[in-house]
Amino acid sequence: MFRQTLPRTLVLLVTLAGLALYAILGGFFARELVVSIAILAILAVSLDVVAGFGGMVSLAHGAMMGLAAYTYAILSVKLGWPLLPSAILGVGASAVFGTLIGWITGRTTGIFFIMATLAFGQMAYTVFFKWRWLGGDDGMGGIKRFDLGWAGIDLDDSLIFALFALALLAMVYAAAAWVLRSAFGRTLSGIHSNEDRMRALGVNTVLHRARALGFSALLAGVAGILAAQHVLYISPELLVWTVSGEVLIVVILGGLGTLIGPLVGAVIFVLLKDAISDYTDHWHIVIGLLLIATVLAGGRGIYGQIEHWLSRRISSPPEPEEAGDA
Amino acid sequence: MDSGFWILQFLNAVQFSMLLFLLSIGLTVIFGLLHFVNLAHGALYMLGAYIGISVAAASSSFWVALIVAPLIVALIGAALYITLIDRLRDAGPMNQVLVTFGLIFVFLDLVRIGWGDVALGLSAPEALSGTSRILGVQYPSYRLFVIILGLAVMAGLWITLSRTRIGAMIRASVENGDMAAALGINVGRLFFIVFCVGCVLAGLAGVVAAPVASATTGMGISILIPTLIVVVIGGLGSLQGAIAGSLIVGFIETFGAVLVPGFAAIVTYVLLAAVLVARPQGLLPARGGEQ
Repeated sequence: MFRQTLPRTLVLLVTLAGLALYAILGGFFARELVVSIAILAILAVSLDVVAGFGGMVSLAHGAMMGLAAYTYAILSVKLGWPLLPSAILGVGASAVFGTLIGWITGRTTGIFFIMATLAFGQMAYTVFFKWRWLGGDDGMGGIKRFDLGWAGIDLDDSLIFALFALALLAMVYAAAAWVLRSAFGRTLSGIHSNEDRMRALGVNTVLHRARALGFSALLAGVAGILAAQHVLYISPELLVWTVSGEVLIVVILGGLGTLIGPLVGAVIFVLLKDAISDYTDHWHIVIGLLLIATVLAGGRGIYGQIEHWLSRRISSPPEPEEAGDA
Repeated sequence: MDSGFWILQFLNAVQFSMLLFLLSIGLTVIFGLLHFVNLAHGALYMLGAYIGISVAAASSSFWVALIVAPLIVALIGAALYITLIDRLRDAGPMNQVLVTFGLIFVFLDLVRIGWGDVALGLSAPEALSGTSRILGVQYPSYRLFVIILGLAVMAGLWITLSRTRIGAMIRASVENGDMAAALGINVGRLFFIVFCVGCVLAGLAGVVAAPVASATTGMGISILIPTLIVVVIGGLGSLQGAIAGSLIVGFIETFGAVLVPGFAAIVTYVLLAAVLVARPQGLLPARGGEQ
């Protein structure tokens, strides 16, 4: 079950404030990093909603993000629609895609669910990879950022765009926390703990899992719109399954089932990748070993481990484990 | 397009299927026995190719590489089993997926450090460098050798699993591991042997694939998905399933590339999704009635 505890709120506010400060004080490159962090963090939070609280480990989140980005690009660039409706429909397309995957795979669990999401994600990847009208594997450019000139905001300014990305991240986190605290979120956790019992209680588990994946895909779609507007160019590489694998790594490093952990994980992941690539091209090996070490150390992740220590130090009864095996 | 063209495509499909079989049989039996999802299986295949190229260069013989490289891969696999895999057996599928995903990254960079990030070739042995006449067409002898090797491994495994004592022990352990252990089978040792044999076959597939398509650092990741699809379509843990799955995927990918260029992969994914939804236990599962 999800609780927005005081430490979690504090970490959220400090992280967002720190990133905003980094963007304001740092140069263009710092702002680019902040946007990358925001995109990855939105994806990680979105994956944690289903993986951490619903036990649904998805390898289709890259595809969900890419689908939103492509829908936005098709509507706004190819068909010349206004930007905001295009973005809303993009996020909507991602949500529909997620709901469909959830509904079709409603009764599969564990490794079969992982494989099924892999299949649907790769299907979407192959479609965009081969679709010449959309540039195929060359991708497509000409994408525009929102025009907020009426409010005196110029998103083409790198600092403003970084702050805009952070604002979206805060909204996504709030939406995820709100949904997980609702009756729906509690039911989802219940299905994760004991699906048979929830079904015996009269809960339509397939419907709930489909809705949860749809909501998660909606959040991933926000990351897709942001990613498209960030580099003003999209390619099928957004959808490939290793992108989803990377997001899963971020969730695990940060702390599965804590919601704030994956956000912290995204910050660490992007900064670490940036720092390591100053010294060597071989950052994969560092991330790989870090991932293995995290899982062998109990799989709580960085934030999850700290929370575990805190809850033992104040010697309150330990919180029930939320993050079981998928 | 005459009949000769289609016979060539047929042979290509069989050859690709044999490669998929060598990889998927190890993965599927490991999964059936240990309930272990080894995403690093593709990385072992990649290691087989690179080590094979180095051994062939050192010994100036393809045949030495064909024997030695899979054994080295098996040693690496044995080390992995002792340090990681054995501990993760009861850790649940997600932790296994994560750790072996981490291993993919580690092996990827190790190969980049050891061999560089360029595609390396391995030439087929002298005796197999020409073409042979089969079914009325000229076909590269080396590819024919791959088909024969695959069939030989298939026959060998079939006889081992169905006719020998250790085969019976493996089948019993796939069916019900606890009961097999209670009957006095040393299940732990059996797991270890099966895992190593799976690694040998992955390494063998790597060496065999190197002359057909050169070795690249991306080969492990790109073969992983078709191999997993074979395993899931065929049914986890079963030899017949791996054979059927390899042929289905091999033929769809080869003929799809000719008939509907570009969309062959989608056909495979649609098939996988359909199997997962309608028959999650696979077409020919080792165990009846479960899942």
